[in-house]
Amino acid sequence: MSPYWSYYEPAKPKKVENGLKAKSKRGCIGETWWSKRWVKTLESFNLGARLTRGKSYARKGQVISIDVNPGIVRARVQGTGSEPYDVVIKLKPLSDAEWDKAASTMASKAVFAARLLGGEMPQNIEEAFSESGLSLFPSKGRDLKTDCSCPDWSNPCKHIAAVYYLLAEQFDCDPFLIFKLRGRSKEQIMEAMRKMRSAEAVEEADGISRSSQDAREQFKPLEECLDCYWQGGGELDLLEINPRAPDVKGAVLERLGPSPFYIAGVNLAALLSKAYEKAGKAALQRATGETESKEMQ
Amino acid sequence: MYVLHSLWDTEAFYIWAESSALPLVNQGYSVSSEGIPAHPFSLPGKELKTQISRAFHLNGAKTRALILRIPSGKNGPLPSPWLLREDYISQKPAGLIECAVDVLALAPDLAAKFLLDLPIHPLKGVVYADSMRFWSRLALYSLELVAKEQFVPAVRERYSLWKAVMDETDLERLDRFSKAMPPSCQALRLFPTDKSSPKDLARSFVDGMADSLVRGSLEQLTLLPPKRGRRPRVIPLPQQFLLSLTSKDPTLEASTEEVAAFAKKMNSWISELEPKAVSVPFRTCFRLQAPAEEETWRLSFFLQAKDDRSLMVPAGEVWRTKSDALTLLKKSIKNPQEQLLADLGRAARLFPQLEKSLETARPAELEMETTEAYSFLRQSAPLLEQNGFGVMLPTWWQRPGTRLGVKLQLRDAPRKEGNAGSAFFGLNSVVEYDWQLSLGDYVISREEFAQLSHLKIPLIQIRGEWMELRPQDIEAAIDFFHKNRNHEMTLAEALHLGLNPAGHPLPEAKTTLPVHGFEAEGKIKEMLSALSDPSGHMKQLSSPLDFQGTLRPYQLRGVSWLMYLNRLGLGACLADDMGLGKTIELIAFLLHERETMKGPGPTLLICPMSVAGNWEREIERFAPGLKVLMHHGLGRLSGQDFEKAAEKADVVITTYSLAQRDEEELNAVSWGHIVLDEAQSIKNQSARQTQSIKRLKATQKIALTGTPVENRLSELWSIMDFLNPGYLGSFESFRRDFVLPIERYNNRAHSEALRSLIQPFVLRRLKTDTTVIKDLPEKTEMKVGYNLTPEQASLYAAVVEDMLSRIESSEGMKRRGQILAALTKLKQICNHPALFLQDGSPLEGRSGKLSRLEEMLDEAISVGDRALIFTQFAGMGAMLRHQLQEKLGVEVLFLHGKTSRKQREEMIQRFQQGSSPIFILSLKAGGFGLNLTAANHVFHFDRWWNPAVENQATDRAFRIGQKKNVFVHKFVCAGTLEERIDQMIEQKKALAESVIGTGEAWLTELSDDSLRELLVLRQEAVSNGSDSSDRSDRK
Repeated sequence: MSPYWSYYEPAKPKKVENGLKAKSKRGCIGETWWSKRWVKTLESFNLGARLTRGKSYARKGQVISIDVNPGIVRARVQGTGSEPYDVVIKLKPLSDAEWDKAASTMASKAVFAARLLGGEMPQNIEEAFSESGLSLFPSKGRDLKTDCSCPDWSNPCKHIAAVYYLLAEQFDCDPFLIFKLRGRSKEQIMEAMRKMRSAEAVEEADGISRSSQDAREQFKPLEECLDCYWQGGGELDLLEINPRAPDVKGAVLERLGPSPFYIAGVNLAALLSKAYEKAGKAALQRATGETESKEMQ
Repeated sequence: MYVLHSLWDTEAFYIWAESSALPLVNQGYSVSSEGIPAHPFSLPGKELKTQISRAFHLNGAKTRALILRIPSGKNGPLPSPWLLREDYISQKPAGLIECAVDVLALAPDLAAKFLLDLPIHPLKGVVYADSMRFWSRLALYSLELVAKEQFVPAVRERYSLWKAVMDETDLERLDRFSKAMPPSCQALRLFPTDKSSPKDLARSFVDGMADSLVRGSLEQLTLLPPKRGRRPRVIPLPQQFLLSLTSKDPTLEASTEEVAAFAKKMNSWISELEPKAVSVPFRTCFRLQAPAEEETWRLSFFLQAKDDRSLMVPAGEVWRTKSDALTLLKKSIKNPQEQLLADLGRAARLFPQLEKSLETARPAELEMETTEAYSFLRQSAPLLEQNGFGVMLPTWWQRPGTRLGVKLQLRDAPRKEGNAGSAFFGLNSVVEYDWQLSLGDYVISREEFAQLSHLKIPLIQIRGEWMELRPQDIEAAIDFFHKNRNHEMTLAEALHLGLNPAGHPLPEAKTTLPVHGFEAEGKIKEMLSALSDPSGHMKQLSSPLDFQGTLRPYQLRGVSWLMYLNRLGLGACLADDMGLGKTIELIAFLLHERETMKGPGPTLLICPMSVAGNWEREIERFAPGLKVLMHHGLGRLSGQDFEKAAEKADVVITTYSLAQRDEEELNAVSWGHIVLDEAQSIKNQSARQTQSIKRLKATQKIALTGTPVENRLSELWSIMDFLNPGYLGSFESFRRDFVLPIERYNNRAHSEALRSLIQPFVLRRLKTDTTVIKDLPEKTEMKVGYNLTPEQASLYAAVVEDMLSRIESSEGMKRRGQILAALTKLKQICNHPALFLQDGSPLEGRSGKLSRLEEMLDEAISVGDRALIFTQFAGMGAMLRHQLQEKLGVEVLFLHGKTSRKQREEMIQRFQQGSSPIFILSLKAGGFGLNLTAANHVFHFDRWWNPAVENQATDRAFRIGQKKNVFVHKFVCAGTLEERIDQMIEQKKALAESVIGTGEAWLTELSDDSLRELLVLRQEAVSNGSDSSDRSDRK
């Protein structure tokens, strides 16, 4: 029984406590190439303003929950109505035969397993799938079946878009979620690839040696240290300290690689490099005693 | 004195201090509100501020009270072992007591500043407890990490922070540091010992220091890219993060969830730096092989057992594994293929060429071009290693010999006209040399070098061996070409290169290129080999004919060494241990020189006033043929008279203070030698006295010292600067290149380099050296000469006059009594005026004997010796204890008539164990049954004019089972009764004890005239003003 003018008043969605919020505050959502690739499909649908509103829903935290399962994503999104809407996104899982084909292509190059194990989606994974005549990401609108319980006629609606964006961010952190959606867990994929590399796997009991466990040395109770309470160990005077310039400049940033943050298009890691140079040099100067003079009296 | 302690509670650094001036036990009711007693002898907050804060420039440190758990005895907390007290005899701790202690609380940035600026040698009256030394070393360790750019930003709670990044070796060092942490670091009452470990505490400290150091140096820096437009109302977290990393305020302003999400992402990014789980027994390892002919570089992959690096499984074998676990020598890896793959994936980020091999199904190795191999060696290998991968490189890589370097050939410069025949080289004499560039062992011509430098490939193969050709080395070589056209260098430079074959960079060295080969011919060759190994090349001389005595074999070696350096015109520092006879070595050397060389010119001997008389007597005794001129006192010669007298003398003896005051006179004479006795007196290089002495000129300079010069670097520099000016470079460069690395950072390479540089010029033999010990008798007796201060002299004269006037009119028992009473007074005056006056007046600078004792003990304890001091006067013992403890900063024990049996046992134990290096015994109280074999010096501070009594005392240190040689020092002041009675005892030693008897009564039987002769003070006894009072009248 809503009054007629409510059609003209721009409706504000109900606020959600502890909703899933998109982390990015402006610009595009999704940072890795695979999540961008995922978003690209959505943006190819020409949703217009619904896309922008979906993004802002995602950022405001209107999405209450997302659950990814093989072939189907279920989510709840709070809109203008009193009850949250149910959103369903379906993407057809690959069949066992299709998966086997994909696994054998991936096993032919170590880079796939190497990247996946490192938590990254290999750049050319799409090639591996297309070589087998398959596609990992939805490529056309009809690959995706979407549905929302909201009264909006258009599909995908802004609620679906919001879920879609949030999915992209979840893929950022865990690329294996895409595989899950297509019907395979990480373990299943690795297992399949291992099978392809060597003929057959034999189950074996967990044989990891735990002997070298990090035996941490706790504090000895003070009551037991009465005789040596004040004294430090003899090694103290023998330990050499050798302040020097690093072997490789900016090694820490090299080891870290690009960070998940960009500021004005520049990666945070690149912005940090100045700090390394300056602080390192200052410490070296301090170590070579340019600042002290008190000692010589 | 103060003992400084410190604590770290993961957020703040606390300093507290024990004071020797406060009572040991609480007097009155200082109990905190919680009913916890205040620590009685810790410095109260107010004084912490005025004394400690001010001395260490800690403005901004707040005082507060902490509750600490401290070992306690019956009456409350026990002092730490560094706190020297006069009213304390050690107790075994019975338990812990909670005490309220005032502390200075320092935020991490202030703590970093304090600890990094902490003087290596504490200020006077301050001692660092081990906790202080521990945290300050750990702060230096943090500084090293930051200098090596090993730090990373992170988020904790709502704050940004920088923390230290440690690879495996760093962690191993941190582990060793943690094991050295004194238990007192967990003294805080509420310390969560069960939740953390010493390593956690150390780690939190290192992180705290890293944050302060990095943040502190970035204050002026903006990490954000230049911004356009208006500042947004809400700054996104990544921007905020970067801003906060360079500011004092680390807070991030956003909702808790946003910060948490940001932190998660940020911290997961940096988690790559964490060392991999130790529970995984294998890691991936890369081995680079240089190509043989016509092949390419090869990088092979392996799984390598972490605890047995020799156990390596080639990747090919890993791919062939059929099970999902690989077991090797009882170690098994689960999913070995996945581990290898994951590792290769991670490694590819640091070494992008790896991608190529990942294109295959079962990558086992990678072939590389030379340029790729070079970038692997320079860039990727260290990164991979830091990331926990194993890396095996060809052995020639980083072997010093495989870089571009120079080979030098030295030869004597042709003698200039008129200079022929001179035996002297001198450090500034010129040596000619030829040089060639070399790569490894191969000499390369200029043409070859030109070709190589145009190749622009940093790895080259010469005659089958691979070498690195660094661009900076090429530049250094070109620079070297330009600078070394004249092919001449000074002898000092040649020595630097020749004595330091490891190629360690030296102060003001000729080039940064490593020296690969060093050859010499002619005299310079002889000299270099002799200097680097004097014992092998030195001609062993025989004792000079005119020497009145016997030189022990090691003393003859010392004389030969002095002669050797003398011929080369190089300064020599004779630094033998106290008691080995530096004095007679020098006297024998002077005689020897006169016997073998013509007209060496007079020797100027500069010594402390207290030993000037001693020198005169020793020269008289061992070399009566040498003409000595004493240049001190008011009647000393000046102007032309002095010049003439000095030219005629063999040895002119003067004091340090006069060397400054009479610099002009002294400079007018052309000296054969200038000898500094107790050369550590010129350790303060900025003192005017030091500068005057350094301006004096002589053909050769010699320094005598018994302190371990090699451990006191600024002293060493000053002495070397006197002996061989310029040889160790300027003090600034010396401090940078040696003092800091060695004293502050314990750097062994630098200390080795310094040792080899000074080794030709310093001869230091220890009593314990096997070559010395076999020459030494088990017991060596020495007379220690000293002078009275003017105060002592006038008191002495007054007492003698008084007595002589009295005994004229008395006889019998009365006369004897008067004589004995006067003898006692004179002994007291020789010991210290305050002992005679009994007025509790200050002790400093009033007794020549006490000053001499301090000097000698300082020398003895600096080499770890232990000493017994005997005195007849309990009052003197107490004064000595106070004064020595204050001046020397070590615990001094004092056993006297009132010491209880229990205390006595404990003192003996402490002395024998080494907790206290000095033990004073009143001769009477000493009694018997004492076994003090740990001592190797015995000082008879005053004399019991009876050899039997003295010998009994000496024997306390010298018992069967004593492994050390014992040095017995007897104080004798020339010109006083001490000297004359000493002479009488020496003369009468042959007679039976019946003459001397068992006491001193025999003296009372002497006639008045004999007594007058015996007691009257002669001029030579007095120093005309102490060294310090001399200085003032210059202005």
